[in-house]
Amino acid sequence: MIELKNINKTYPGAVPVHVLKGIDMHVRKGELVSIMGASGSGKSTLLNILGILDNYDTGEYRLDGKLIRDLSENRAAEYRNRMIGFVFQSFNLINYKTAVENVALPLFYQGVSRRKRNMLALEQLEKMGLRDRASHLPGEMSGGQKQRVAIARAMITNPSIILADEPTGALDSQTSKDVMQVFHDLNRRDGKTIIIVTHDPGVGAQTDRIIRISDGVIVD
Amino acid sequence: MLDLINEILQTLNHNKLRTALTGLAVAWGVFMLIVLLSVARGVTNKFQSFQEGAGSKVVQLWGGYTSKPYNGLREGRGVKLRDNDISRLERASGSHVGEVSSVIYGEAQTITAGTRSINGEYTGMYPSARETERHTVISGRYINQKDMDQCAHVMVLSEDFARQLFPPDGAKAVGSRVSCKGLSFLVIGVYKANWYRDNIIPYTTARHMAANPEEVGSLKIQLADVNSETDGETAESDIRRTVADAHNFDPEDESALFVNNRFLNGLKAQGAMNILSVSVWVLGLLSLLSGIVGISNIMFVSVKERTHEIGIRRAIGARPRSILVQIIAEAIAITTIFGYIGIVSGTAVTQVIGAVSKGSDALENPTVSLALAFEVTLVLVIAGAMAGLFPALKALKVKPVEALRDE
Repeated sequence: MIELKNINKTYPGAVPVHVLKGIDMHVRKGELVSIMGASGSGKSTLLNILGILDNYDTGEYRLDGKLIRDLSENRAAEYRNRMIGFVFQSFNLINYKTAVENVALPLFYQGVSRRKRNMLALEQLEKMGLRDRASHLPGEMSGGQKQRVAIARAMITNPSIILADEPTGALDSQTSKDVMQVFHDLNRRDGKTIIIVTHDPGVGAQTDRIIRISDGVIVD
Repeated sequence: MLDLINEILQTLNHNKLRTALTGLAVAWGVFMLIVLLSVARGVTNKFQSFQEGAGSKVVQLWGGYTSKPYNGLREGRGVKLRDNDISRLERASGSHVGEVSSVIYGEAQTITAGTRSINGEYTGMYPSARETERHTVISGRYINQKDMDQCAHVMVLSEDFARQLFPPDGAKAVGSRVSCKGLSFLVIGVYKANWYRDNIIPYTTARHMAANPEEVGSLKIQLADVNSETDGETAESDIRRTVADAHNFDPEDESALFVNNRFLNGLKAQGAMNILSVSVWVLGLLSLLSGIVGISNIMFVSVKERTHEIGIRRAIGARPRSILVQIIAEAIAITTIFGYIGIVSGTAVTQVIGAVSKGSDALENPTVSLALAFEVTLVLVIAGAMAGLFPALKALKVKPVEALRDE
């Protein structure tokens, strides 16, 4: 599903920072994997490359068999839209849109009709147990609810993988458990490939496999 | 498309106050543009109706006093135009001179009808004055050749005289008799005065009534085949030379012969009207421009504020083009919505100006046409697109990663 071969990334500047130093990584379809590392270890950069939000300098990245390299902005946008679902630490919902509008937004960029995308968005919210919150604004919801809305948004295009960046970082322990349960369900029931970036060992322990990264190299 | 409009309305709605304040500047700009344009149109309309009333291809001459010695004669001699100047001009003055007629101005008289009398003037004119002066007969008839041949004692009253002498509306004027300078005249018609308000009698009749049997008040020359300023100038100098030869004065002596070249004046005034029109457009567009700059500015702020949102949209699959289209469309939406408010309120105000200024000497029908409203709308859409373009290009440069980091 995901194959990284000898990925290198350097941020240019007065003092160039070599953040990723020859990363080799393989994630199979249907795996629930966590990437762990201290801050500054390069795990966010890795996640951005996996999410086609950022380019890499050398190496090779294949997602679902497709070589991801030097894509045009349009092609990158299309891949992000169809193949990847993002879940962020700070939810990243648009605050003036209701839950259902937020969930439906990726389909707007696919040109799906308003009626159809609202219907599909309601279905996703239903799965997250948030049907009754559909017309609420993010400001009117709890952290756990917001994160489940974000997960529903990530799921609506039926992507190949879900990339979650510290998805429980802003949540209390009980809510964290609930959210992790959602990821487990998506993984076990729907067979989704999920990669979670975290520095919380508790979260890491709940995944099939932990990839540890330190100073730009995978250590185990 | 409908989706895009929905998306735009939602973002605009999200920032109601800011949208409204920005829009106000545009509405004001358009409002000013519409009002300025319509007032300019009112002035132009009025001017054109004056010009038509005066007959636009006519040169009128009055005798003056010489200001230079000429041919051994001293300065300060009076130049009296005479009836025989008519045939002289028709014979000698080149290809641009058409029919020549003359006018005799009677001095102020008391004109009486029954028990009512008012002070007024009479003018002896040719039947052709109906065309050269564009007199509109509103009841009865104008003087004709038969009146001329018979030196008939008939009079065509101007509308306001008829009303004053035969109140309330002058309807009984035609067929009644008035007396003037001890003579009885039959009122044969009433004409609508544009700017010339004298009562008209046949030229031949006025000739008999005049103290001097040869002298005329002024000569009126209908120009033929004049299409340009050069034609008008050639005609005028031909006329000057002919009259100067006959009356023995320097053709360059401007005070010896007063010339009102309505054709040239009309062309010059038309030029002035065009300048007025252009400057009004420039002024209006400049005032609109300040509104547009405001919108552009606010769109920059909006893009900056929404960097994070743009990042989210990019992350979930918005193409750069979608972002570009959305920002530009937002700017167009603000300009057109508020521009439309400006058009409507501007039009309303011009209607009021039109109603208040009805019958005034400065304005006539100061309204905007549908075509103009369409032009202004077109300007708005283009301006809106321009206002949105630069902020949109800035939004395009936003990298999703950096935008997501921007909290």
